[in-house]
Amino acid sequence: MKNMNRRKFITNGVAAGGLAVAAATSRPTEAKAAAGTFGGYPDSMGVLVDMTKCIGCRTCEAACNEEQGLPAPDKPFDDMSVYDEERHGGLPRRTTAKAYTVVNKYEVAGRDHPLFRKFQCNHCQEPACLTSCFVNAYSKTPEGAVVYDPTVCVGCRTCMVACPFYVPAYSYESAINPVVKKCIMCYDTRLKFGRPPACVEACPNGVMTFGKRKDLLAQAHKTIENNPEKYVKHVYGEHEVGGTSWLYLSDVPFEEVGFDTHLGNAPIISYVKDFLAMVPMVLTIWPALFAGFHLLSTRKAAADNDKS
Amino acid sequence: MGFKKGKILGLATLMALALPLSPPQALAEGQLNDIHGNLYEAVEFDHDMHIELLQEDCSKCHHHVAGVATSQRGCASCHRQAVEVPDPSCKSCHSLEPFSAAELGRTEGIPFINHRVKPGLKAAYHQGCLGCHQEMGGPVGCQDCHAMTENGEKFYHTGAHAPAPGKTDKHH
Amino acid sequence: MNNIIESGFHPVDTLEKPGANRAWTVKEKLLLGLSPSDYMAQLLRNPFNWLLAIIYAVGIPVLVGRFYNGLGWATHGSYEYPWGLFLGWGLFVMVPLSASGFMMGTTVELFGRKDFKPLERLGLLNGLLGYFFAVIFLQVDLGQPWRLVYPMFVSLGPAAVLFLVAWHVATYLSVQIAELVPAASEFMGWVKPKKMVKSMVLGLTIAGIILSTLHQGALGALFTYAPGKLHPLWYSAAFQWFHFFCSSIFGGLSMLLVVSTLAKKFLAWRCDDTFLDSLDKITIGIAKGCSLALITYLVIKVTALAHDNEWAYLLTGWGQWYLFEMIVGVVLPMILFAMAVRGNNASLARVAAFLAVFGIAINRLNCALVAFNWQLYQEVPHWREFAIAVMVYATYIVVYRGVLYRLPILYGWKED
Repeated sequence: MKNMNRRKFITNGVAAGGLAVAAATSRPTEAKAAAGTFGGYPDSMGVLVDMTKCIGCRTCEAACNEEQGLPAPDKPFDDMSVYDEERHGGLPRRTTAKAYTVVNKYEVAGRDHPLFRKFQCNHCQEPACLTSCFVNAYSKTPEGAVVYDPTVCVGCRTCMVACPFYVPAYSYESAINPVVKKCIMCYDTRLKFGRPPACVEACPNGVMTFGKRKDLLAQAHKTIENNPEKYVKHVYGEHEVGGTSWLYLSDVPFEEVGFDTHLGNAPIISYVKDFLAMVPMVLTIWPALFAGFHLLSTRKAAADNDKS
Repeated sequence: MGFKKGKILGLATLMALALPLSPPQALAEGQLNDIHGNLYEAVEFDHDMHIELLQEDCSKCHHHVAGVATSQRGCASCHRQAVEVPDPSCKSCHSLEPFSAAELGRTEGIPFINHRVKPGLKAAYHQGCLGCHQEMGGPVGCQDCHAMTENGEKFYHTGAHAPAPGKTDKHH
Repeated sequence: MNNIIESGFHPVDTLEKPGANRAWTVKEKLLLGLSPSDYMAQLLRNPFNWLLAIIYAVGIPVLVGRFYNGLGWATHGSYEYPWGLFLGWGLFVMVPLSASGFMMGTTVELFGRKDFKPLERLGLLNGLLGYFFAVIFLQVDLGQPWRLVYPMFVSLGPAAVLFLVAWHVATYLSVQIAELVPAASEFMGWVKPKKMVKSMVLGLTIAGIILSTLHQGALGALFTYAPGKLHPLWYSAAFQWFHFFCSSIFGGLSMLLVVSTLAKKFLAWRCDDTFLDSLDKITIGIAKGCSLALITYLVIKVTALAHDNEWAYLLTGWGQWYLFEMIVGVVLPMILFAMAVRGNNASLARVAAFLAVFGIAINRLNCALVAFNWQLYQEVPHWREFAIAVMVYATYIVVYRGVLYRLPILYGWKED
């Protein structure tokens, strides 16, 4: 580099570094509990779902529809033929842009009546959707709900890729304002004021119990302890992907009734942290490293320059 | 919202039902009014028939508070003697709003989990009735016990308020 | 154009119009020095343009429909498969193939390898256009593309990997535009911009390396959000970002070789002697870099298998597909590149480059579409997605060709 002298080099190096740092608001915001996981707010609320009590009446679906002002469903909520519907690839019903919760039916061998499973956002303690959103549209409220701000959503749909439970739905049919649609635990209308979600209150059979997550865990374990031959000895959601606010009890092994039991206990963010840690390393090391390479590569030319 | 209205209505009706103490056979008219938010009509409940059917074993519904010992594991470990309480009605123990701040606050700190974690009144009725009905061939359908009201049809998007058939959500 | 050249026409390559005592006007420069009617005539004679006409005839209405009717009309985007061909091809495939920008910039400006200079501008252009069109694809895919700047100025989510991608792509586009300012300045006759950029070139290059390392890796890291959804043979919690970064090195270089091959074949009239004479030697030099990157990639891929003890998967159907991708897309080009270097055989290196580009394409498409949700049904993109993707890619080619026809990329501008 004929006209490169030391002064120019340093100026450019700082410029490069400055440019890189300017672009680097991509450093992750470190959690307050630096090394460990978040684990949820201590007094956050949760819901315990005892699937042995669900009779599949779908009142919860109707209550959600009313509370959230959702469009009219395709079929009445007391129409049980929905349980026979199958989607692509044999998959059962799932939450959609106009149904934030659905109930699915599972015929289980050896059980004289089917098991019904209510499916909705699990309001994870360390949500993957929140982790992956680059416009910070998701928030984990102290009450425990994972809520979503549709006014900033760009529609990148990374949250849909990130959610291990495949919960978020998207209003693809909208041209002007397609946004993510999911259960918000009735935060705006109920949870904020200390009231349980609409589905919990509407359930005629008391399938769902609302309370502090830590109390619900105690209750769940006591329930299992009181009926050891009935319940599967596991509370789903206690630890899965860092723990969820919606907990499940079942008398049938969870993997037989639509639950993914291979998720592991690590919150999704822990899989991404390794790369995020790379970012500041590259930003700080690369400038000096490559400036060094440059000096090394051009030392002969520089030496010739000095001689002449 | 429908629920608030229904609660007031239900509460008012239940209060009206609060009767002075009387022997079990004389439970008045037997109407268990709906607490859904008037989604359903009142239940026609024949208390006498149930007493006869269950051969006067009050514990089948009233646990241990009606003077008959219960075999339910959760209760029996402590309540081996069954003392008849002044008000053995369901509503006296099972709250209309089990998840209200007041109720959650009340139950916090109660050491006995079976007292802390009680189903609400609506759940108690359904859990209590449906289990037996399923075994003994009683009414198990929603409308077998209580007919749906106009409000109910709106809520469930059924009957007169059912959506037009043939419309399906194309997107999975 | 070949016919016109044969009849003695010389396209614009100076500021001054020869024999006219004045500078070319911008319009004349844009028409390559041809009269408008001659320019139109050569346009209509070119069979590739007829193909383009068909692509646009189908594609434009579909693209309009996508915005008018929403994504649901134009894609098979679902709740299980939110991403389709627009991101799968336009972002995940095109970005690694556009890594030639930082590779050539680093080689020439940072490492001081001036012998690669004839191909440097083509590498920079390949990079710029690839990223620019990746952003176009992104805009087609986003549910609310008018909110593109939200992660930058309205509501920031800095912990998200996509946040890094957004910022880096935006910054890197600026860097690449700056790196091409010299070529544009020569064409337009500007003096100051070219000087200014030349003084910053080392800084720009280092910025380019930093940004590229991170965002190429970040595109891989996006898949770490879905550990259970991507098939274990393609997924690696520890190395995903490095798989994507390392493959982008030979991806960008191989794409550059592919483009230079196409330029040599179809745009020879535009290439000057410096370019044509040095092309084979540079190709061999690039082949060296590619084979090194390929073996590194292969080793890390095998390490990832060992790290997570995934050998058993190789025996499944998915394993066979994985082995196909690795053998045809990685091992074969690696061997061919090495053979080409040994035998000083530029043509063999070009074959290897095509294979390597193919390998990158199927690897990214596997990650985004095929091996994604491997335990669910397989999604196939809507025909409208294909129509739009083909059209946008065709536009990329059209713009590419348009710039190569005009700016001093394949030829040196004759300074007075």
